[in-house]
Amino acid sequence: MSELETLRVRDEVLQAMYWMRAEGIDDAPTEEALARFLAVGAETLRLYLERFCADGYLEPATPGYRLTPVGEEAGKRTFAEEFAGLTGAAHGECDADCWCHSSPEDAAQCLEDRVGHVH
Amino acid sequence: MSTEAAPAGAAVEPTPPKNFMRPCLLLLLREQPTHGYDLLERLKSFGFEPADPGRLYRSLRALERDGLVRSTWERSASGPDRRIYQLTRAGMEELHLRARALAGTRRLMEAFLGRYEEFVALADDGATGSVGAPR
Repeated sequence: MSELETLRVRDEVLQAMYWMRAEGIDDAPTEEALARFLAVGAETLRLYLERFCADGYLEPATPGYRLTPVGEEAGKRTFAEEFAGLTGAAHGECDADCWCHSSPEDAAQCLEDRVGHVH
Repeated sequence: MSTEAAPAGAAVEPTPPKNFMRPCLLLLLREQPTHGYDLLERLKSFGFEPADPGRLYRSLRALERDGLVRSTWERSASGPDRRIYQLTRAGMEELHLRARALAGTRRLMEAFLGRYEEFVALADDGATGSVGAPR
């Protein structure tokens, strides 16, 4: 496992475990549950989970793995960083006359109108 | 022999259209910004049972990566902060496109069922009545 790949998987695992814990789904998933959650192979994941335990991001639980305080902080921070600046205005941030409050036809018209200028 | 054929007399569960979770999530987020667990519960009304948190998580990440959804932290006094998801303008446009495509699918299904029901009555729950019996 390359260091670059390890970093990528670490971010993915810590973010997923943070999300699962915050949503009350599971705060100590087994490697099988985590592999299903991420749609990856459990055998492959096991090696990474052992490494993340050794690095202090996870700790063994009964059964499964739990985030350490360091892992929780890293999961939360990288989650926010991953999508920072990626999206524009959200629904509800537009004005009261925005097309998103009306029909698909208005939306299509609005889309045409917005080409070349800000809505 | 085809592996897609249901055994004779077996009940066939309704099958949602391919990638149906995506428009459902957009619609649910159009109704109100919310967090993952709430989405998981509300997806059940569209046939996503049993709940599959991993699939939801991956779908939300894909939507966010595509710029159709964005998430922010919601502070919690009693546990870890949660991500609150909301629709972006691009997400609203995608929702309209998907809804139109589904309306087209509905017309096709209605055409099929209309012709089918010329010779077999369907009960409200989709079960066949007297199969083969003229209406």
